[in-house]
Amino acid sequence: MGVLQARVLELAAIQNAPAWLSDLRYQGGERFAAASWPTRRTENWKYTSLAALAKKDVAAAHAESVEFNDLAMIDADAYRLVFINGVFSEKHSDALPPQVTTFAAASEEQITVVQRHLGRLADSSEHLFAALSQSVLEQGVLIHVAAGQCLDKPIYLLNYSAGKQACLASTRNLVVLEEGAQAEVFEQFNSDGDEQSNLVASQTEVVIGNNAKFKHYRLNLEREGITHAGGVFVELGRDALYSGFALTKGAVLIRNDYVLTHRGSGAHVELNGVYLPRGKQVVDYHTNIQHCVPHCTSSEVFRGIIGDQAKAVFNGRIHIHQDAQKTLAELSNKNLLTSNKAEVDTKPELEIYADDVRCAHGATVAQLNDESLYYLQSRGIDREQAQIMMSFGFINELIQSVENSDVVEFLMPILADQFGRKESLLQMEADALESL
Amino acid sequence: MLRIENLCARVEEKEILKGLNLHVKPGEVHAIMGPNGAGKSTLGSVLAGREAFEVTAGSVAFQGKDLLDLDVEARAHLGLFLAFQYPVEIPGVSNMEFLKSSVDAVRKARGKSDLSSVEFMKLAREASKKVKLDQAFLKRGVNEGFSGGEKKRNEILQMMLLEPSLCILDETDSGLDIDALQTVADGVNAMRSPDRSFVVVTHYQRLLDYIVPDYVHVLAGGKIVKSGDKSLAKELEAKGYSWLDGEVA
Amino acid sequence: MSEQVEHLIRKEYAAGFHTAIDTDTLPPGLNEDVVRFISAKKNEPEWLLEWRLQAFRAWLEMDEPNWAQLNYKAPDYQSISYFSSPKSMEDRPQSLDEVDPKLLETYEKLGIPLHEQEMLAGVAMDVVFDSVSVVTTFREKLSEAGVIFCSISEAVEKYPALVQKHLGSVVPQKDNYFAALNSAVFSDGSFVYIPKGVRCPMELSTYFRINEQNTGQFERTLIVAEEGSHVSYLEGCTAPMRDENQLHAAVVELVANDNAEIKYSTVQNWYPGDEDGKGGIYNFVTKRGVCHTRAKISWTQVETGSAVTWKYPSCVLRGDHSVGEFYSVALTNNYQQADTGTKMIHIGKNTRSTIISKGISAGKSQNTYRGLVRMNPGADGARNYTQCDSLLIGDRCGAHTFPYIESKNPSAVIEHEATTSKVSDDQMFLCQQRGLDPEKAVSMIVNGFCREVFKELPMEFAVEAGKLLEVSLEGSVG
Repeated sequence: MGVLQARVLELAAIQNAPAWLSDLRYQGGERFAAASWPTRRTENWKYTSLAALAKKDVAAAHAESVEFNDLAMIDADAYRLVFINGVFSEKHSDALPPQVTTFAAASEEQITVVQRHLGRLADSSEHLFAALSQSVLEQGVLIHVAAGQCLDKPIYLLNYSAGKQACLASTRNLVVLEEGAQAEVFEQFNSDGDEQSNLVASQTEVVIGNNAKFKHYRLNLEREGITHAGGVFVELGRDALYSGFALTKGAVLIRNDYVLTHRGSGAHVELNGVYLPRGKQVVDYHTNIQHCVPHCTSSEVFRGIIGDQAKAVFNGRIHIHQDAQKTLAELSNKNLLTSNKAEVDTKPELEIYADDVRCAHGATVAQLNDESLYYLQSRGIDREQAQIMMSFGFINELIQSVENSDVVEFLMPILADQFGRKESLLQMEADALESL
Repeated sequence: MLRIENLCARVEEKEILKGLNLHVKPGEVHAIMGPNGAGKSTLGSVLAGREAFEVTAGSVAFQGKDLLDLDVEARAHLGLFLAFQYPVEIPGVSNMEFLKSSVDAVRKARGKSDLSSVEFMKLAREASKKVKLDQAFLKRGVNEGFSGGEKKRNEILQMMLLEPSLCILDETDSGLDIDALQTVADGVNAMRSPDRSFVVVTHYQRLLDYIVPDYVHVLAGGKIVKSGDKSLAKELEAKGYSWLDGEVA
Repeated sequence: MSEQVEHLIRKEYAAGFHTAIDTDTLPPGLNEDVVRFISAKKNEPEWLLEWRLQAFRAWLEMDEPNWAQLNYKAPDYQSISYFSSPKSMEDRPQSLDEVDPKLLETYEKLGIPLHEQEMLAGVAMDVVFDSVSVVTTFREKLSEAGVIFCSISEAVEKYPALVQKHLGSVVPQKDNYFAALNSAVFSDGSFVYIPKGVRCPMELSTYFRINEQNTGQFERTLIVAEEGSHVSYLEGCTAPMRDENQLHAAVVELVANDNAEIKYSTVQNWYPGDEDGKGGIYNFVTKRGVCHTRAKISWTQVETGSAVTWKYPSCVLRGDHSVGEFYSVALTNNYQQADTGTKMIHIGKNTRSTIISKGISAGKSQNTYRGLVRMNPGADGARNYTQCDSLLIGDRCGAHTFPYIESKNPSAVIEHEATTSKVSDDQMFLCQQRGLDPEKAVSMIVNGFCREVFKELPMEFAVEAGKLLEVSLEGSVG
């Protein structure tokens, strides 16, 4: 058993969670103990090594005193909840509407909801990181929106890693939207400096009832030292909508598993994502869209730019079960490698057991288009600048499809910084948006 | 302004230009006509510096400099502008960002400072009005989803903003309806000045009704086979290119 | 026979193979002695025996792969007999009257001439149709060009240096479970050698040879194309073969030296099992070629048979500017399962690969494309294009696509596309309205779907492949 496994089990044994969570926590611990640590021969981890993580030592989650003077945040009217090293920080958080609670403050009725759903979608017997976070289950948020209700503002979950010591920052989020309900959630992850080396385990489960709508933004903006064990598990009812956007800059390892399951007909999944690892960063997205019933659709687009010695892994699975007739499913993954030490491994998969369906996937690894570069150069833009513009354009197509303009505005300077674009261009765009 | 001597060029081992000569003085408008496959578009690409086109012999002097020695963008900085026959679409790169970057790059090469975004927006708006391109196009990706006519208007818009000294219009009239053609020609005519020259490459005489050239050259078999004034264009229109067959040796 | 070998045979005797020696057939079971017996029986030199034994020892340590999208009961390797001498003429059916009528019916549909039917069914030949003379004519023609085309056993005997140099150079003994097994016990197979600069004057085919020698279930094929040479090789039968053996684990190795070109076409139609999924061949095949500078290897396969297919004809594009191609049609019906595809390993600069895969699933079958495209760090300017299309016929079958794409080179370009469709009601309606019966309509649509691959096949093969699909699809509509 590796250092990490031993330490997690140690932490799991300390029962300081609310008593009503202890059964789940105990189950998580058992499953994590029973799980075999993945190797390169484990299909789900073929391209991402967990050898270094196995040796990582982490402390228990502990709060740090943090001031967010410089931290870029989404400038939106939202209910903000801040977790520092996985511990809820009331000081930084807003007063919450009745539909939202931390686990610690949950009412009897809310406890029932959590107990009914938590761990149901994030199957800890199957997902290592779900087991990991469940074994130290304590901190988390429940968003429960009653039938026909619509949350008046987005919920903004800010997850911050700070302090010299690496700790296991684990949070669980559960979103339950009853029939016809609507909600929008931002999840943002940041860390304090390149040295900060937390293991962030963040698993989010989303139950979208019939005809309910959920918009979800998950932004991994952590810096160099972080390891992120992420998961998003979604279940859609009849005519439900999940609209998700994911973005990862990169760190030691950022892994996000998206598992979305169609349980009611007429539902739609829209999932777009961007990854931009540099240095020696590793980003790994595993997405899995399960079409279990007829007449559902899904559309997924992921794009990545991989530089320096970084590595990106994308595994996009579409599974059409028997009888899931009339499914429409599309997946596209495009990658740009910008260095001869960078690596990308992509695997778009189709598993289809129904005949009357239309499915397509495509994946490319390519360079910037020569003809476009020539066009830009012929207008006097030097090659390097042209490359920057086009790389940004490659990503920008997806950014511009993000519905929430506050999120777009938040991301633009971050991306500009990433691409070394001129600040003046941004300003101009902002002005232009105003004037047009 | 532009002095092309015995220019030979090939693309993928195929000789296309075979000893082309052309002298353009400031303020002149030269039309280059010729049958399909004569090398008309190759000329524009070679002058702009497209990589696939290899110059095998000859020289091109532009503003007293050896043009062939320069990178694509350096040629643009020097004032050479090519209006493309098929402008490429670049999704994700906003047209405005593209235009501003170009204008700043060219200005910088001329020792001028960057325009403020307000100044630039003012220019861009005026220009887009002139070419009758809705301002919404400034926000879209470069040429992304533009119709053929909109792409050509966008080319002229760029030409106006970059204020080049030599404009090469590569079959700018192809695929344009009469209204668009008029708009494009108005844009070009508005830019005519004693120190700005134009090389108008076209297959049809039609465009030359709107942009009246000082000289007309016939390009066939990779070289200029006949030169004359604007009446030559009329003659070509009436007699067709086969009339020149004897001239191509 | 060398002393060494004699010694070994005696040793096997001592180990209790008394009956085996008399009858030339080994009882079921696999151990080192069996390997020694096979080698001795074939008069093999010592190095080859040692080579087989290495493979066998490696095999013992290996696990049967389970990553494929296949669900079958693993063969009991100890219940298989690993050596059986060729059937004598007397043992074969003496005329077509003795051949399974169902088989003849299929031949009929394929439009195979009577004398070929006899040949395919393994009917003992007499002077009326002399397959030997056919063999001799083409052998003469080949030897004039300097081409060697013989069984691998014969090659071991006559060209030991060539065989020793290349055997296992592309697919090492320990490459995978089935390759190791094959390396230990391969019965026979083909050997082709094309000398430098030679364009093989005719298409080589095991179609002829398979009648000459009753090759077993562990075939080993080795094709070496020297610099600047060219060969087109056809494998398999275009007619269904009834095979009493359950397990078929072949290895094919191709070596294309600088500027050489090898075109390898397969029409695989082993017995797929019956409508209820009973019987049929387990086809676990390892096929791989190495391309040196500016060489080209093109695999074309039409896979309609076998109960289980596990097969990934691959190209290692080692030399700069080398080219790999894979064109595949895999059709599964009833309870058949196929997990097939290719690997394109780009090592050299400016290497190119193309993958066109067409999977057709009908009945209750499962059809999987599994492919790997890998761009190594040195593969500057390499290109791959992959197109995987699946067609489903009926709502109880499966079509799956698992492409692995790995790139470590920023100037390499990879494009992968996959689509899934069904035979649409509109298409069917149109065909039927124009007077076609449903089965004919489906087969026409399926043939159209496969056209891109069929055009890569040699002419006669393409025609028969088309008919083969028709036969294989029988009963899938309705």
